[in-house]
Amino acid sequence: MTEMVLEARGIGFNYGSLVVIERLDLAVAKGEFVACVGPSGCGKTTLLALLGGHIAPTRGTLQRCGRSRTIYQDGGLFPWLTVHNNIALGLSARRDAATRERKVAEWLAVTRLTEYADLYPHQLSGGMRQRAELARALAAEADILLLDEPMGALDYQTRLRMRRELCATLRERTRTVVFVTHDIEEAVQLGDRVIVLGPRPTRVRRVIALPPGRPRLPTAPGVPDAEQAIMEELGLT
Amino acid sequence: MPTTIADPVSAIRRMPPTRSSRWYLPFATGSLLLAAWWLAWSAGAFPTGTVPSPADVASAFATEAHSGRLLENVISSLYRIAWGYLSATITAIPLGLVIGRSVSTRNAILPWINFFRNLSPIAWIPFAIIWFGIGDPPAIFLIFLATFFQIVLATAAATGSVPSVYYRVAREMELGSVRVVFEVTFPAILPQLVIALRVAAGVAWMVVVAAEMIAVRSGLGFLIVDARNGLRMDLVICGMLVIGLIGVALDIVFARLAKIDSVRWGFER
Repeated sequence: MTEMVLEARGIGFNYGSLVVIERLDLAVAKGEFVACVGPSGCGKTTLLALLGGHIAPTRGTLQRCGRSRTIYQDGGLFPWLTVHNNIALGLSARRDAATRERKVAEWLAVTRLTEYADLYPHQLSGGMRQRAELARALAAEADILLLDEPMGALDYQTRLRMRRELCATLRERTRTVVFVTHDIEEAVQLGDRVIVLGPRPTRVRRVIALPPGRPRLPTAPGVPDAEQAIMEELGLT
Repeated sequence: MPTTIADPVSAIRRMPPTRSSRWYLPFATGSLLLAAWWLAWSAGAFPTGTVPSPADVASAFATEAHSGRLLENVISSLYRIAWGYLSATITAIPLGLVIGRSVSTRNAILPWINFFRNLSPIAWIPFAIIWFGIGDPPAIFLIFLATFFQIVLATAAATGSVPSVYYRVAREMELGSVRVVFEVTFPAILPQLVIALRVAAGVAWMVVVAAEMIAVRSGLGFLIVDARNGLRMDLVICGMLVIGLIGVALDIVFARLAKIDSVRWGFER
């Protein structure tokens, strides 16, 4: 039987009188990569905050097995710490100094940031900052990664490179991922399943399963059909 | 072959400022002001006894410095500043952090912080003398009042504007509440706090002079009021110059603080 690490049943969330999410069901299996797409302002970030336990659902039940780490679009790196210290701080609660240093060095190498370890986030390019966020989140060995449009601020070429790097990293170190994006192409290329969310109040409108293998080429089997189906569901055709 | 058109104005505009210009330019403008003062005095532009010559001021400075009185007065003023300003900083920052993080504390206290912040420290002089008598304590009390409310308000405003994403990250990192204060909130507000402390240091320096004119018999403020009573305008200007120079020196110290790595990020993003 498949082990579910995230399971939301009929969850809803209100900001005051504004209903943001209504009767949303979502189950994510261990090691699965789920991409969520939806129109702008539909509550994708609120959904991630709920899944991460930062806010509690107003209605319904939400179960999470394991620790989660979120990678934010606007940059969740602490700007007063170097790249090295950003990663190390995330490990400080659970490890001794020697193990921490080894882990930091390992993840700096994996994300090709070793020579930038002593720089501050504002001294890095957008792509490097996202890699540093990824290193910080993955180094902590969290079971679940919640990605809030992590490539939204990057240029197209950097995004393509980041997609490949993310997939390569996840191949070696499997994690459960919920990836929120407004980019249909990105969702289809990365997700095992794509959850199409409707406009506010957000509900799941459709779930599209994709063939194995990430990242998928735009011409890979199933990709053009999935993109077409999502566009239709979002009323973009 | 391309023709080169000489354009001295553009060339000057394109010239990068040199490091040394930061030193010789203020010296040059200061020399101009000094020359203007000297010329005006030589031409008899000031009524007798109102403005001394630069030479008289230099002579007064040399005499005061040689006698040791000037150094004693500087030390007295700095001693009061240190106690008043540091005690205000140590108490105001924690209160500002609490006000910035807690809505109920903010609602309960912030209007009163604003109320007292708008009261001039000079208005407290009668109470300062009645409560603390004559000597250092009333001056220290006035400096404390002048800076405490400013620092509380600046700290609270900076704390309230820390992006919530940092706290979410800290929560995921499982940092305890004490570590959140020292490793997230405090470093996040540090650039704004350094600016607030810089402004407050200037205010403290202004207030110490006013306080020393009333409640004590030492310090640079006392030097000025005592010199005025003796119609020694050369000493008055000597005191003013020393106050201004120490103020500039204090400001340079704070400007250097803003260049520390853990503060500089706030100014370079």
